[in-house]
Order: sequence, then structure tokens, then C-alpha cells
Amino acid sequence: MLQIRNLHVAIGGKPILNGIDLTIHPGEVHAIMGPNGSGKSTLAQVLAGRDGYDISAGSVHYLDKDLLPLTPEQRARAGIFLAFQYPLEIPGVANVQLLRTALNGQRRARGEAEMDAIDFLEYVKDKLVLLGMDDSFLYRSVNEGFSGGEKKRNEILQMAVLEPRLAILDETDSGLDIDALQVVAHGVNSLRGPERAIVLVTHYQRLLNYIVPDQVHVLAGGRIVRSGGRELAEELDSKGYAWLDDKAEFIEASP
Amino acid sequence: MITPTAYREALSRIDAPGKFAAARQSALEKFLQAGLPDSHLEDWRYISLEHLERMPLHAPADPPLALPALEDYPGAVLAYLDDRLVWRDTTLPATMLGTLADAIGGAAATSTPVAFGSLAGNASLTQLNAALWREGACLRVPAGERLRQPVFLRFAAAEADAMLYPRVFVHMAVGSDAILVEHFVGDPDIEYWQNPVTEIVLEAGARLTHLRIIEDSKLATHTGLTAVHQASDSSYRALNLTLGGQVARHELNLVLGESGAEARLDGVFIAAGRSRTEQHLRITHQAPRGNSRTLYRGLADARGRGVFDGRVEVRPHADASDAQQSSRNLLLSPHAEIDAKPQLEIYADDVRCSHAATVGSLDEDALFYLSSRGIDADTARRLLLEAFIDEALGLLDDTGLRDWLMPRLRASLPRGQAMEPLS
Ligand SMILES: Nc1ncnc2c1ncn2[C@@H]1O[C@H](COP(=O)(O)OP(=O)(O)OP(=O)(O)O)[C@@H](O)[C@H]1O
Ligand SMILES: [Mg+2]
Repeated sequence: MLQIRNLHVAIGGKPILNGIDLTIHPGEVHAIMGPNGSGKSTLAQVLAGRDGYDISAGSVHYLDKDLLPLTPEQRARAGIFLAFQYPLEIPGVANVQLLRTALNGQRRARGEAEMDAIDFLEYVKDKLVLLGMDDSFLYRSVNEGFSGGEKKRNEILQMAVLEPRLAILDETDSGLDIDALQVVAHGVNSLRGPERAIVLVTHYQRLLNYIVPDQVHVLAGGRIVRSGGRELAEELDSKGYAWLDDKAEFIEASP
Repeated sequence: MITPTAYREALSRIDAPGKFAAARQSALEKFLQAGLPDSHLEDWRYISLEHLERMPLHAPADPPLALPALEDYPGAVLAYLDDRLVWRDTTLPATMLGTLADAIGGAAATSTPVAFGSLAGNASLTQLNAALWREGACLRVPAGERLRQPVFLRFAAAEADAMLYPRVFVHMAVGSDAILVEHFVGDPDIEYWQNPVTEIVLEAGARLTHLRIIEDSKLATHTGLTAVHQASDSSYRALNLTLGGQVARHELNLVLGESGAEARLDGVFIAAGRSRTEQHLRITHQAPRGNSRTLYRGLADARGRGVFDGRVEVRPHADASDAQQSSRNLLLSPHAEIDAKPQLEIYADDVRCSHAATVGSLDEDALFYLSSRGIDADTARRLLLEAFIDEALGLLDDTGLRDWLMPRLRASLPRGQAMEPLS
């Protein structure tokens, strides 16, 4: 579903990603862990199509097509969804307006009929229940005045409405209380299916108890320095990143 | 140098009763002496009317025979075409709503409206309007009456190079209540000049909600003045929308003349293409416990240029006044420009005043956030722009005019450069 080959990305001349290789098949869940500043969000934003990044080498293929020339909305319409580490507040745009405009934009792009306001409300209410959110969230401005945890939940609500094929969740678990974590995990799990894939960027293996990954990767110094199964996350949890240090330094030093 | 011929010729076509002919003549002489305002005047620093001197301006010919199709107005309507009343659709008696010419000079004249001409001041363009207005409109709401429907005054231009002088007088008697909409429009591809003057008197406890919409042609020049005087505990709430015109200027002179008066002045202006738009507000708190709140939102795209110039003066003894001003503006292109100048002059005690002005650009992060949800760039921009101006549009809900107005407002929002289509 997603093939990243030797991806190099710089921001303002400063290299951030130094040769990422990653392959994700339909149905899989991948976790990406790694120290602060290692480039996890950069990778996520590059996949979602944010500009301002200089992609100096490498390739990204999604569903066997070159992803990089596509605009963010084209990527979204092709089924890519990014839950932001820091969701934006958009004063004056109601949550429901964003959700419906986004869903209808995607439906139109797929040649499906748009949903009218009434059908949409039906549709979105089930998703709200799934995420334990009440109706009032629909009519508030996007993320404005939301608590940290509510913003994260709202990202997952958007995901649930848009039903993406490839969901990239950038630290969606950070800032969630224990109950909220379970609710969000349940929301994510309900989206799992043989046609869909999920990338979880996280610092905590706790999330992985609820959403069990097929593979865990460690990103350090702009490279994936270790990949493994679930147990890798547990190892990191007990040992920290220090035991990878030698390797990370070796990578930074290499040309 | 301005040639007086066109103006004199225009005056000669107006058959005003003798007692008004002299006043018109004298107003014209004053205008000719002063000439068009130019950049030497502080308030005219940014905008130039030089192009008017190069135009073959003239008073419009007699009213056209064929009526243009009128859109639906949800209320009472007086529609003017090239300064002539061509359509009247109202159940209000002529004593309440009719032409100003009838109200002050015609056979049906009751008495000259109190204070007509006294608020507008004597700037040269105002003198010109005083000399050359034709039928005009007059709304007089008797004491204690509340009009159930909005009153629409439509001032349309159809003749190229016409100079038009809409004149409106509004008298809100004690405790009366009304909604007034002034709508300035014109044929899309012609050049003309509208130079309207509106005077509004609010007696004690009267309430007026006033929408003023400049939707003139992209080539038109609009230089409008609204002058308001408020007695005690009256309420004036205005929404000034500037959506059209090559040069569009609106000046609002508001006096909170007696204690406890309240004014809320909202506005949205959009300067697209190469257009220039200016909003000048002069708010004077003359009496204690007045409350004025100004909230303007401005957009400039392409090479558009906008000016927000808001001045609040709190005179001595206007104690316990409250004046708030907010002007927020967005530049949508690197060549667009907006100057925002809020000013406060306070000579009284115990006054609460604040002003805030910002000029920024569209939030790229928000645009990316929306497009990452599959919303196309154009729609994302539109959502953000609508959200930005919406704060100033509260009166649309209070008056029930949101559905009427939003389509035209949306149509005026800058589209921006669509993203490269990719296959
Ligand atoms: N716009 C930018 N300009 C300059 N440097 C940037 C920019 N964006 C990111 N960086 C840098 O790139 C590096 C990687 O940042 P990124 O946000 O991808 O890290 P991360 O792995 O997501 O970290 P965290 O775990 O703290 O979220 C950091 O050193 C950061 O400072
Ligand atoms: Mg991050």
C-alpha cells in the first residue's frame, strides 16, 4: 500500500530525514517510535503533503502510484489521513461544517453522491457515539477552546467520518487520560480491516496494548534504526533509547 | 481643473421650487469653489478622484422606459434607477416612506423634515449632493411605531458616465424601531459616479438597524456619506458592506448627542482587482454613558487597497462613555495593501476605551489542515474567509437578512489562484 524508499527531506537546508525505507501492506498496523526531534512528525507531514519541505532524494508510492506530486487534498481523497500531533484551532468554522465539507469533497472526488445535511447528521451521530463525544462538539468552532484530549478525540472523529485507507496518527495518545485512550483505541480499531493500514506515531507502548501493531520501528537521526515486532516497544519502554545510541550516532556521523 | 459646465447643466435640469432653487445654487457655487477633494486633505490622502475629471460626466438622461429586472427584496422597496424612482412596492403610507422631493417640496408635503440638511456638514462633495440630488428618499417612522418589515432603498446606475446623487433622510421619532437597507448597484461594465448622502436622526429611545451595501460596478466610483445623530437611549446598529466599486469610499459621521445612546458599527470591505476602498468613521461621544462599538473586517486581494480609518472622540463631560474599536484585516496577495488606523481622543473621565487593529495573511497552517481533510484549496480559502468576516455579520441574524445577503457576499469573496490541476 505504501512504499517509502530512501527518503531524504530537508527544511531550510537542514537535513531532517536521512534515507527512510518503509513498506506497509494493507491490513497492517505499524508503530513508529523514537526520540524527540528525530523526524517522526516530519515524515507524517511529508506523507500528508505539507509544502515547505525539500525532498532531496527518494520516492514514495501509495497504491502503486507516485504520491509526491499530489496536493494534500488529492492525497486525502485517495484515502490518506493524518491525525495532527498539534491539531489546529479554526475559529469561525464549525466542526460539522469541516466534517461535511471534507466528506462531500471526498465523495465527489470518488464519483459518489454528496450527503445532504440530514443524512450527514445521522451518519456523524454514530461516530460521535463511538468516540463518546456529545452533539455540542459539532457546532463548536474546530478545536477552538477544546482541551488537549478533546482535540485528539476530535482528530479521531474526523478519521472515523472520512474512513481513510491509510491513517497516520501522530501522537494521538499523548495527553489522553486512561479512559479516553481506550475510547480512542476502540475508535481506531473499529476502522481496522484488510483494506486499511494504520501508522501510529507514539512515545508510549501503552497505546500498543490497545492497538496491537504488526511492526514497530525506531526512528532516530532521521533514519529507521531498528524494526521489529511488538516486543521491541516493550524493550524500549524498559531500556529507553540509550541502548540505540551507538547506532544513532553512527548514522549521524555517516555522510 | 474641473469644468463647471457639466454640474451647472445638471442643476439646470432640476426643477426645484423657488425656495430650494436658491439653496441648490448656493451649494453648487460652494462646491465649484472648493473643487473635488484632493490628497492635500488628510482624509483624502490615499484615494484620488482625479479620474473623475477625465470622465465625460453628466446628469443622467430622462428615466429609461424599460425597467430592469428587480431582484427580490424581502420588505418594502423604493427602487431608483439613475436617480429616478422607478418602482415602489410598499404598504407604508407616503407620509412615512416616499421621495424626499415630495416630503419637502411636493404637493403632498407635510412639513419640511426637521433637521434635513443639518447633519451632513459642508464638505465639498456634500455640497455637490445638496445641489444636485433629484427625487431622494425619506423615511419617517412615527413615535412608538415599529416597522415589521425592512425598508429597502435600491439605488441603481444604468447610464455610463452618469453622476448620481442619491439623498436619503431618515427620521426615527421617539421610541420608534425600523430596519433600513440601502443598496447601491450598477450595470456591471459601466463607469459612473455615485455620491450619496444619508442623514439619520434618532430621537430618544429610537432604534434603527441599517445595512448599507456598496455593490457598484467594478468600474464605478462611490463616495458616500452617512451622518447620524442620536438622542438619549437611542440605538443605531449598522452593517456597512463594501463589495464593489473601483473606488469606494464611505464616511460615517456619528454623534452620540445625548446620554445613554448606543451605537454598533460593523463592516466588511473587500478590495479586489485594482480597487480602492476606504472606510472613514468619525464617532463623537458628546454626552455621558454613550456606548459605541466598531467591528470591521477587511480583505484585500490582487492589487486591491483598503483603508480603515476610525476616529473616536470622547468630548469633555461625556463621562462614563464606552468605546471599543476593532479592525482586523487580511491580505490575500503580496501586492494587496490595507492601512488600519484606529484613533481615540479622550477628553472625559471614567471612560472605557480600547482599540485593536491587525493586518495579516491567511493562516497557511489552517489551509493545510483543511486541505489534508480533502477540502480543495478554493473551498478551504472560502471557509476561512467566511469565518473571518462572520464576526462582523451578527446583524444579519438579528434582522433575518442572512439568507438574502450571503449569496451576494459569497460571490464577492476573492477566489484566489486555484492550485495547479494535477491529473
Ligand atoms: N519548520 C521547521 N524549520 C526548522 N526546523 C524544523 C522545522 N520543522 C521541524 N524542524 C526540526 O526537524 C526536527 C524533527 O522534527 P519533528 O517534529 O519531525 O520531530 P518528532 O520526531 O516528531 O519529535 P517529537 O517526538 O518531539 O514530536 C527537529 O529538530 C525540528 O526542530
Ligand atoms: Mg512529533
